[in-house]
Amino acid sequence: MIRQQKIAVTVLVVSLLGMFLGITVILMRRLIPDYPKTAVAFGGFILAVGVIVFVGRIKKDKGAVTFDERDRLIEKNAHLAGFGAVYLLVILVSYLPIGIAPEAKIPTKWFPFLLPIAVLCQCFAQSMATLIQYSRGGKDGEK
Amino acid sequence: MAKNELTNRIRRLRFDNGEMTQQQLADRVGVTRQTIIAIEAGKYAPSLPLAFKIARAFGKPIENIFKYEDESA
Repeated sequence: MIRQQKIAVTVLVVSLLGMFLGITVILMRRLIPDYPKTAVAFGGFILAVGVIVFVGRIKKDKGAVTFDERDRLIEKNAHLAGFGAVYLLVILVSYLPIGIAPEAKIPTKWFPFLLPIAVLCQCFAQSMATLIQYSRGGKDGEK
Repeated sequence: MAKNELTNRIRRLRFDNGEMTQQQLADRVGVTRQTIIAIEAGKYAPSLPLAFKIARAFGKPIENIFKYEDESA
């Protein structure tokens, strides 16, 4: 597994963990009115620092060249996939409420949450696209 | 829909050139070994400059290494 794949796996796991934590926090807010906000925020901070340190420690690949035209193409396609996923999310968020409850009202304090949701969505789609493209590269048998 | 396919003889030529490894070829043309693996497997079509570099690494014309098969033709 090369460095780009290791980073993609890390980002994929972290984005899934982020989605899980987000859903957990929403459920906690509903079920436990006095949930420990500081502890949750500190947990999120520790997670973010841990990810940065972990990604920084991933070693560079052996060989004279570690990033070439194919890696650039994969990176470009992955960015496009991430952008497309965010675009789909925006379309979904814009039209889904109208479809579900046309006459209902949405509290404005919900809108800032769209940003972290979009970031998680983009990270997830980008890392998935990266891993899928690298997996199509052929069998890594001989040296 | 017409299917276009780029086939190559890189694997054969590597063995004909003193059993050159994928890493040696990759270093010679300035790409990663994973790119050579993908090209050999026909999963990735190299850019024109890279195709020329590979051809020069084997000392052969580009058409001796890469073959373009167009089913619509």
